[in-house]
Amino acid sequence: MEALAISLVNAVPLLAGVPLWTVTLLLMVAVAAVILVFALTFEGVGSLVLRKVAGDIQARIGPNRVGPNGMLQFLADGVKLVLKEDIIPANADRLLFKLAPYFVFVGSFAAFVVVPFGVGLIAADLNIGIYYVMAVTSLVVIGVLLAGWASNNKWALLGGMRAAAQIVSYEIPVGMALIPAVLIAGSLSLQDIVRSQGGLLGIFGWNLFHNPFTFFSFFLYFTAAQAETNQTPFDLPEAESELVSGYNVEYSGIRFGLFFLAEFGDMFIVAALATACFLGGWNVPFFHVGTLPWIWGNLLSLGVFLTKAFAMVLIMMWVRWTLPRLRVDQLMRMSWKYLVPLTFVNLLGVSLWLLVFRGKGIPGMIASLFG
Amino acid sequence: MGLKAYLNDIVEAVVTTAKGMRITARYGVDPKEEVTLQYPEERWEIPKGYRGFLHNDIKTCTACNMCVKVCPIDCISLESVRGADKKMVLCSYDINIGRCMYCGLCVEVCPVNSLLHTSGYEMASVALGELILHFIAAEDAPEIKARVARQVAEAAVKAAAQAAAKAAEVPSSGTAEAAKVAEAAKAEAAKAPVVEPKAAMEEAPQAPVSEPTVAKEGEKKE
Amino acid sequence: MTIRTDALPTQEMTINMGPQHPSTHGVLRVILTTDGEVVTRAVPDMGYLHRGLEKIGERVTYAQYMPFTDRLDYLAAMNCNCAWAWTVEKLAKIEVPARAEYLRVIVCELNRISSHLIAFGSYTADMGAFTPFLYAIRERERVNDLFEMLCGNRLTYNYARVGGVSGDAPPGFLEKTKEFLDYFEPKLDEYNNLISYNKIFVHRLANVAVIPAEEAVAYGLTGPNLRGSGVPFDLRKDEPYSVYPKFDFKVCVGTGERGTLGDCFDRYMVRINEMRESVKIVRQAVAQIPDGPVRAKVPRLFKPPVGEAYFRSECPRGETGIYLISDGTVNPLRLKIRTGSFVTMNIFEKVTRGLMIADVVAVIGSFDIILPEIDR
Repeated sequence: MEALAISLVNAVPLLAGVPLWTVTLLLMVAVAAVILVFALTFEGVGSLVLRKVAGDIQARIGPNRVGPNGMLQFLADGVKLVLKEDIIPANADRLLFKLAPYFVFVGSFAAFVVVPFGVGLIAADLNIGIYYVMAVTSLVVIGVLLAGWASNNKWALLGGMRAAAQIVSYEIPVGMALIPAVLIAGSLSLQDIVRSQGGLLGIFGWNLFHNPFTFFSFFLYFTAAQAETNQTPFDLPEAESELVSGYNVEYSGIRFGLFFLAEFGDMFIVAALATACFLGGWNVPFFHVGTLPWIWGNLLSLGVFLTKAFAMVLIMMWVRWTLPRLRVDQLMRMSWKYLVPLTFVNLLGVSLWLLVFRGKGIPGMIASLFG
Repeated sequence: MGLKAYLNDIVEAVVTTAKGMRITARYGVDPKEEVTLQYPEERWEIPKGYRGFLHNDIKTCTACNMCVKVCPIDCISLESVRGADKKMVLCSYDINIGRCMYCGLCVEVCPVNSLLHTSGYEMASVALGELILHFIAAEDAPEIKARVARQVAEAAVKAAAQAAAKAAEVPSSGTAEAAKVAEAAKAEAAKAPVVEPKAAMEEAPQAPVSEPTVAKEGEKKE
Repeated sequence: MTIRTDALPTQEMTINMGPQHPSTHGVLRVILTTDGEVVTRAVPDMGYLHRGLEKIGERVTYAQYMPFTDRLDYLAAMNCNCAWAWTVEKLAKIEVPARAEYLRVIVCELNRISSHLIAFGSYTADMGAFTPFLYAIRERERVNDLFEMLCGNRLTYNYARVGGVSGDAPPGFLEKTKEFLDYFEPKLDEYNNLISYNKIFVHRLANVAVIPAEEAVAYGLTGPNLRGSGVPFDLRKDEPYSVYPKFDFKVCVGTGERGTLGDCFDRYMVRINEMRESVKIVRQAVAQIPDGPVRAKVPRLFKPPVGEAYFRSECPRGETGIYLISDGTVNPLRLKIRTGSFVTMNIFEKVTRGLMIADVVAVIGSFDIILPEIDR
């Protein structure tokens, strides 16, 4: 960010007198605002798409009253959430009750910082990218637990406990399933991981097709990540038919809206990470984006990245409207008895593969056979 | 659990999930599967025997009281007076459609088929009083009663006159008796308007109570 | 392993599940005592929907009581209608025309399908899969369309009458019924593929709340809940009434195919299979239905002879038995109704002990209780 500020100061003579830290700060705020707008837009559109997909799958139409074909439904929902009365239960722990939604929202929103939207479009290309995402999304646990506890409602408490147990235990398979991508790229930075999947192999340069283990790794990641974001079939913390609504049962108005936004934000983060780590990120097949002028290259790569990410989101919705929900003990069993061992075996396999074949994947080997 | 069962478990989970997702995908993609009827714009075809709101054709109604008797929840109330030709004349016929459960028993027993189900089914209201259907306006009731009473009285007078004439024609029986007959007829005529309907007395107070509230609601709206 | 409670004292928690809860299927209140997620005790508290239907029966005439039987089990109003009609006919020894009996069987079985569809749909919704629920509702709408054509109502039909039915099938009804059956039968396989054999669904249901056959009999369970335990008891076969003996159908019982005999999955599967059998019965009935009148001559001021009658019939939620005492007046002297859901709730406390909270939902769904039947 500072480098960008320096180049900006150098490029624009008007800014010569302004202290560097001011420019950096302003730049940060601007970038944050852009990302926030993007996140909010995605969350709004995502909620609309979710309902439309639900409608299609369930042999009905879905929202179609607000705006042309129901396109503005999310605005109506947003306005409704903002205008609704903000109810705090009489016996709630007021401070924690108010604090909880922010934790959840910040945890989900902060992860957007390292999402590689395009060849040069990333808020902060941290060298600990994946590690950072894993860390900040865990902040959600605190928020959810606080919400469950502070509501002074037994159903909310149960939901909060479930959420905490679930997110903590699925953190491990998620991390383990992402490590193969890190191993191949040799870096934790998401931009480096995306770049490592470029080249002339096209879609076969993706980590997904690197070797059989990475192929499985993708599905393991996808399964575990669904659980980490409380999507069906792992939506136990807010199991509507058991816990009424789980940890957010007592929330209303915009506080509920924040939980809601965070849920969709998490959905996008999962899709974005899957895209970046396994599906080639913003790489355009058989084409090097860096050769284009900066603006066009970025736009093209942004388009490619968003298309892939949205496709992943759609698949998540599709799964959501198909499967029933696990029971809480089965959820734990699935994590500790199935996903954790499998991801470890998988990790071992990837490591061995990289060791034996010196980092080359199957498509790479085939390509080298033909020169 | 052996390794085989363990792997079987995983395979089965993946296969059954894939099966289910294929079905949902087919529904998701196929636009022909949408069954939603966009209600206010589109409506379904109402079959012939549909049990909608009740309607009473008061011109054919004979005020036989069968519907009132058969209604399990007393949502029909009627008031009638005996007319000059000894037939009952309706002076009010109310159906509390908010209470009606559309069982159709009243329509079944109606001997002259004046009470029928219509195909109407939309009547949302904020005031309960609006849900009482008055087939004869409440303000018309006294008028009808008065008219019938007048007719009955006229008929009685006529009858008395005829009787008197008859009595006068027969000299042997004496005029005193004929006068007595005429007197009795007159007394009967005077009594006639007081003839009270048997049924509907419990329902009757409801109408005046609910009417003002309706009026008030209407004023508020305006 | 012993849990040290002195270091970290734990306490049981009492939670109210209901009367307002999405998956108690109405206004059932369950007082859960839980140890974390494990239920140590679940006491059902009933009576939130008590309307005194039996007492109402003593104040209205025999014909007037018919609409109230609609409210006995609103998801299977036809079955309750017919049960009342059969009881009164048994009491007064009224001969019912054959066509009326066939029509009654057709509507009863169609209603069994629609009721089991709701059981299936709401059960999957309880388990977290919302899509099959809407598919089930979609099919049920078509049954409702048929009933609307027949009697003009979509939920509380009031179709049966003492001595017959309220009206003959309108032209086109039988054809439409056949059409529906052709449409509906393949859907059952689709449901099985979509959800019944889904691994997660099976895991949620198998081996949960197992009721052994002897226990099911001892607790007086009836209907699919009893058959789910492997007892082939069906009043349509074992104590045939109406024209049921003329039809060829099979009594579906639980087989324990995915777990133990008598678990939630068996009870669920019995309902799915029963829909298939109902389709078979309706097909036969539509093919065999004779012409003729649909209503016997019953005097308008109907007064049955002094006496009593008990009639039981197979409703979707078990045996509905109506006990009727007549003193020769227009109103019954005493009316007692025995319903499947109410009796089933007796075993609820026993089978839910030691289960998870989510399993309690599974048990309620597998019993397919309906609150107006429990509370009457």
